[in-house]
Amino acid sequence: MKYTKELVSTLIIIIVTFLIAAVLIIVAKYDPGMALQSFFYGIFGSLHGFAEIMVRATPLILAGLGVSVAFSTGFFNIGAEGQLYMGAIAITCVGVFLPPMPAMLHIAIAIIAGFLLGGIWAVIPGFLKAKYGVSEIITTIMFNYIAINIVGILVRTVLKNTESALPYSPVMPKSLSFSLLLYPTRLHGGFILAIVSAVLIYIIMKKTTIGYELRVIGFNKRAGTCSGISVYKNIVLASLISGGLAGLAGVSEIAGVHHRLLEGISPGYGYIAIIVALMGRNHPLGVIISAIGLSALQVGANSMQRQAGIPTSITSVLMGVIVLLALSKNIMFSGLLKKMRIK
Amino acid sequence: MPDLQMKDIFKEFPGVIANDNVSLTVEKGEIHALLGENGAGKTTLMNILYGIYTKDSGIITWKGEEVSFKSPRDAIESGIGMVHQHFMLVPTLSVAQNITLGLKNKGYPFYNKKKVIKEIAELSKKYGLLVDPDELISRLSVGARQRVEILKSLYRNAELLILDEPTAVLTPQETDNFFTILKKLKNEGHSVIIITHRIPEVMKITDKVTILKDGKNVATVNTSETNENELSNYMIGRSLKTFPTRKKTNVSEEYGLVLEQVGFNNKKSKKLTDISFKVKKGEIFGIAGVDGNGQKELAEVISGISKINSGTILIAGKNITKASFKTRKKAGLAYITDDRHNEGLVLDMDVSENMILKDYDQEPFSKNCIINYNVVRKETEQRIKDYNIKTPGIKTPIRLLSGGNQQKAIIARELAAGPSVVLACQPTRGLDIGATEFVRQTLIDKRNENLCILLISADLEEIVSICDRIAVIFEGRIVGIINNGADLNLNKIGLMMAGHSGETVNS
Repeated sequence: MKYTKELVSTLIIIIVTFLIAAVLIIVAKYDPGMALQSFFYGIFGSLHGFAEIMVRATPLILAGLGVSVAFSTGFFNIGAEGQLYMGAIAITCVGVFLPPMPAMLHIAIAIIAGFLLGGIWAVIPGFLKAKYGVSEIITTIMFNYIAINIVGILVRTVLKNTESALPYSPVMPKSLSFSLLLYPTRLHGGFILAIVSAVLIYIIMKKTTIGYELRVIGFNKRAGTCSGISVYKNIVLASLISGGLAGLAGVSEIAGVHHRLLEGISPGYGYIAIIVALMGRNHPLGVIISAIGLSALQVGANSMQRQAGIPTSITSVLMGVIVLLALSKNIMFSGLLKKMRIK
Repeated sequence: MPDLQMKDIFKEFPGVIANDNVSLTVEKGEIHALLGENGAGKTTLMNILYGIYTKDSGIITWKGEEVSFKSPRDAIESGIGMVHQHFMLVPTLSVAQNITLGLKNKGYPFYNKKKVIKEIAELSKKYGLLVDPDELISRLSVGARQRVEILKSLYRNAELLILDEPTAVLTPQETDNFFTILKKLKNEGHSVIIITHRIPEVMKITDKVTILKDGKNVATVNTSETNENELSNYMIGRSLKTFPTRKKTNVSEEYGLVLEQVGFNNKKSKKLTDISFKVKKGEIFGIAGVDGNGQKELAEVISGISKINSGTILIAGKNITKASFKTRKKAGLAYITDDRHNEGLVLDMDVSENMILKDYDQEPFSKNCIINYNVVRKETEQRIKDYNIKTPGIKTPIRLLSGGNQQKAIIARELAAGPSVVLACQPTRGLDIGATEFVRQTLIDKRNENLCILLISADLEEIVSICDRIAVIFEGRIVGIINNGADLNLNKIGLMMAGHSGETVNS
């Protein structure tokens, strides 16, 4: 019964989103039929479209998992974007400064470095919050700007490719690339990393005492304190895991897509990850589903732009609508659901 | 013609019928008690009258006219005032400012302080409601704040006063003073409705009683024609249970809990000064006192949530002064907090997850950080059975359980580890009579199993009915310790609760 309710309200959200999209498209004087056709063609029309969805979903799953762990612990990490860039910096440094080595070892070191650097980027706000009560919402957002600008400095100085005039790092060695899973599409090993991370997070959060402590602190800090569970320790731990996962998203983007560090590698994945976590109800499976759903929306919108000439900015509007509906569905739809006699 | 007539009031909340065709009639100049257990629908009924809730059906007539107040403002304008259980006063404003808050007197928005203070002084003289109009609310005692609340209603020309659990926070002496005020109000022609579940008070002060049970009318009787047992029968369907006083046979000489000159000083909370007492195994040691005199702080320094500045605390002979919460638990301490919702439970987690809140990192519940949910489920099912916890299932969010069942869950959890010292802070607050009796009986059973029990309670009746020795706390100090027995002088405890020192009688 609980699931019927979920299902019905999700359906309502999808229908309302499509209606609003239709209105926007008609107002902008485009052909809605054509738009719809090209939207779905982009998603289901080819293997390439399908793979592209997974490619885009990969960083969203990783960063979304990170945000969901933080949210579950009551730490509102808005800084996944910056943490993602720190992860990207980490793997680039591993590629540029470490001597050649076997691929397995190289990737493993890059993953650990990316996790740690992303994690540290979140632990600083986590520490400030746990120790001094500084609002993590503000600090994590500010850390985004710092991280993005550090990337800008690095690709022009220390990590700059000396053979080029452009602000790029050198191309990563072959041993630091994820293998392609579905040649000739871009789908790469990062997707597997994302799925494995989701399973691990599920186990940690639901089956271990570590996750139990994190969730207790997330629901009720006072009850945690009164049961001998340290708020301080758990907020720092949650921020480490959260930033680390976002850092992995950066590692995966470099190792799987860009193969070198440059500015603007993330089209706001770290921010969309917040939507992913919210819609996925902080559950790993929910995160995977909503990440794939949102990237399908983007891939479909890109196809609409190519084929029907409709600007992709429409997806930003729709994502806003989805967030509003998802957050307010319990209140907005409760009357409706009652009338439909669904409990 | 009665002043107030509520007829067949029906009010349904999602899933619960709070008032099922309830009727109430109040004559002019009458003190009328609305008696019933928690959740019987008393406060809902009064909130409907006062315009906070709207009724689903039914008729309210006030002074011969049918009324339906849309907000408390309407009710106040018609001469009905309500004093809530939790006072609605602004602590940083003065008495006079609180009393006139929201009123548009002549000359509004300018404030005629002289006139207002004169009016308040006249009112307080007339009814014996002594307060200084210039004093800040934050500096007043609870009893004085209540007088301000009543003055606030009278200043708005209330003819009918509704008082929700007015004596819950008062010392016995303050209660007597309060009763005198009620009588004056009555003599001046005001009607009063008192919401309460305390039968002795009903007998002492009221003219008429309406008893509610499970949202329905049970009876309306004249106080002079009834007795305590009959009222109790109406209210809970049986007579009140009396707890037999302890037979002084197996008095242990071992101490379970010892506090020596404990001092606690923290800017944010009450100060504790020089607190010393020893609790033996096999006794219930009560801490009596008016709410907010350091009880909470005392519970927290013993449980280890706060650290003390000076002194020593021993549990079962072990010095745990500087030990963490978990170490104290291992030493044998169980802590039943007074704040179920914020401290004792994680309301959004399910029953089984709440059952392991204190032992999740211990075997058999977990090993190497992996929680064994099979064991958790079995243990939860066992405890649900042992303590007769009513829940739809072990996966139900504990938020959905009634207060009594939530408290049973906490007690089941705290007693499961086989503690030697039980620290119970206001364990029956907000519970209905059935659950209250269960909690008290459990404490007595544990005492008989030779556990050492410290009961901190603002409910003097509770302290007197089950404790072996009683200490009184006032302003963070232990004023005195007396033995509980047939010769107990309640008046003396009352004076001690108000800060008069009693001579210490150590046993």
